[in-house]
Amino acid sequence: MRAPAAVPAVAGGSGAPGRAPLVIGRRRRAADRLWWSLCAVALALVVAPVVWVITGVVQRAVSGWSWSVLTTISTGVGGGLANAIVGTFVLLVGVGLLAGLVGLGCGVYLAEIARPSWRTTVLRSASEVLSGVPSIVLGYVGYEALVVGLHWGFSLLAGLIVLSVLVVPYVAKSTEIALGQVPLGYREGGEALGMTRSHVLRTVVLRSAVPGIATGVIIALAISVGETAPLLYTAGWTNSYPTAHLLHAPIGYLTYATYTFYDDPYPAVRALSYDAALLLVLLVVGLIASSRLVVHLSQRYSPERSLGAGRRSPRPLPAGTAEAGVAAEGTGSL
Amino acid sequence: MVREASWSDARAASTGARREGTAATMSARDVRLGFGSVTVMEDITVDLPPGSITALVGPSGSGKTTFLRSLNRMNDKVRSFWREGEILLDGREIHGRDVDPLVLRRRVGMVFQRPNPFPMSIQDNVVAGVRAHRMARRSAMRDIAETRLAEVGLWSAVADRLDDSPFRLSGGQQQLLCLARALAVEPEVLLLDEPTSSLDPRSTEAVEELVRRLTPGITVVVVTHNLAQARRLSDNTVLFYQGRLVESGPTSQLFDRPSRPETARYLGGDADPAVLA
Repeated sequence: MRAPAAVPAVAGGSGAPGRAPLVIGRRRRAADRLWWSLCAVALALVVAPVVWVITGVVQRAVSGWSWSVLTTISTGVGGGLANAIVGTFVLLVGVGLLAGLVGLGCGVYLAEIARPSWRTTVLRSASEVLSGVPSIVLGYVGYEALVVGLHWGFSLLAGLIVLSVLVVPYVAKSTEIALGQVPLGYREGGEALGMTRSHVLRTVVLRSAVPGIATGVIIALAISVGETAPLLYTAGWTNSYPTAHLLHAPIGYLTYATYTFYDDPYPAVRALSYDAALLLVLLVVGLIASSRLVVHLSQRYSPERSLGAGRRSPRPLPAGTAEAGVAAEGTGSL
Repeated sequence: MVREASWSDARAASTGARREGTAATMSARDVRLGFGSVTVMEDITVDLPPGSITALVGPSGSGKTTFLRSLNRMNDKVRSFWREGEILLDGREIHGRDVDPLVLRRRVGMVFQRPNPFPMSIQDNVVAGVRAHRMARRSAMRDIAETRLAEVGLWSAVADRLDDSPFRLSGGQQQLLCLARALAVEPEVLLLDEPTSSLDPRSTEAVEELVRRLTPGITVVVVTHNLAQARRLSDNTVLFYQGRLVESGPTSQLFDRPSRPETARYLGGDADPAVLA
């Protein structure tokens, strides 16, 4: 190695005449700073409202907080939110199953089964248009078709179907994208073993797409937790716990409480509005955190996890084996 | 390289012995391959004798890999791919109406240029094909994994981390794992597409040694850019150039007494492909 003294001094930029100075020019530095500060302002514009909303909700909810909110049902003049909490979870599970399965099927079809043609383009566009339809429109259509048209009344099933229709495109899209990112090597490796396409899909391809699919499902759940309009039209509202009936029985949910109790004449009911808002925020934050957890857990055998973190380095191999020399060079070869 | 003589190697040897006699013959008769309006290969007639190692060599773009992938119909789903002529496995046309490509691929296995372990545990990787074909009971999977890992010389390195991710292994170990996975479905022919081109010299040696050990139990076809590897490893060599078969025959003959001047120039180390024209 060369001694440091042998390296010509370059600091100060006062090199030989005619050579570009090594120091950043004042104008370039200013442009650089301007650019970074614009980015920082943009970030602040996104973060500030979030902080504002959360602190506002927390402050108002915490000042009048009572734990009985979680355990008592609403009465119309006060009470708690237990019925709405249970109802929200019932809706969550239902949407997770319904939208999860249908969306997964759509995504698998678009990514794996359909050959590229005008038909798949139409299908894909239809899915994208659906995700752009305002939720209140879907709610109204659900009301006309299910609540009134099929005489289901305000009911769990009507709410579930409309919410699921609303979020299915997200699950389908994330599934399609996740499947599209699965390395070709996995598929070819499976086919070279004589596996059927569906076997490769089930045992290899879907496995590596789980993080993307799970994230899509959880985002879909977070969206459906926050929806109000479609449920107002389809699920109705009730002060009692959800029943086992899918039809002809309205169901309570937290967004109703936030939306309707807000300007109620009874102060106890108005307080419930803030409590419901707080619970919704916590639920969404919890869902997003859980998506991180799912990604982490499902990546146990993924290349990224194995090479990236390196928290458990492979143990040294007995010297002299063919593999020892390879392992000594590290696992970064792929 | 010193290999420790160990129990696992003895086991590998016994597995090799059991393979004896299962190797199949493959042959191509007047094969033409192409994509759309482009002909990639033509006039390919070649025999791959049972239990032999055949090296397919030639400059990039000469069609070696396309030809190799046609031997187990991996090109079938590639868009606009077409084929003329016959490809035979033990005398039977592999494109016959009653031939199931899945069974064909089970009998004619393939290992790729870049190691492609599946995102599952090391043990599950080895038995992935065994599971798919329901070749053994669930309780036998661990033993199968052990046998195959020993066969490829990986057992001692992974014995106590069968449940670990394969991506923690080195590139060479991953390629050996892929070989173990391919061997677990008991193929009669093994197609290797530049199996060592992404590996360092020591891993390359491990793979080559394994391939030698597998024969004559299995027929091996290997695409390689490495002429020295073709010479060390193969019994027969096939030289392709610009989609045509220039010369094929015993490796020593092709390298030492080639019958065509183009062969002499290419195998003689003259890297300029223009001399072949």
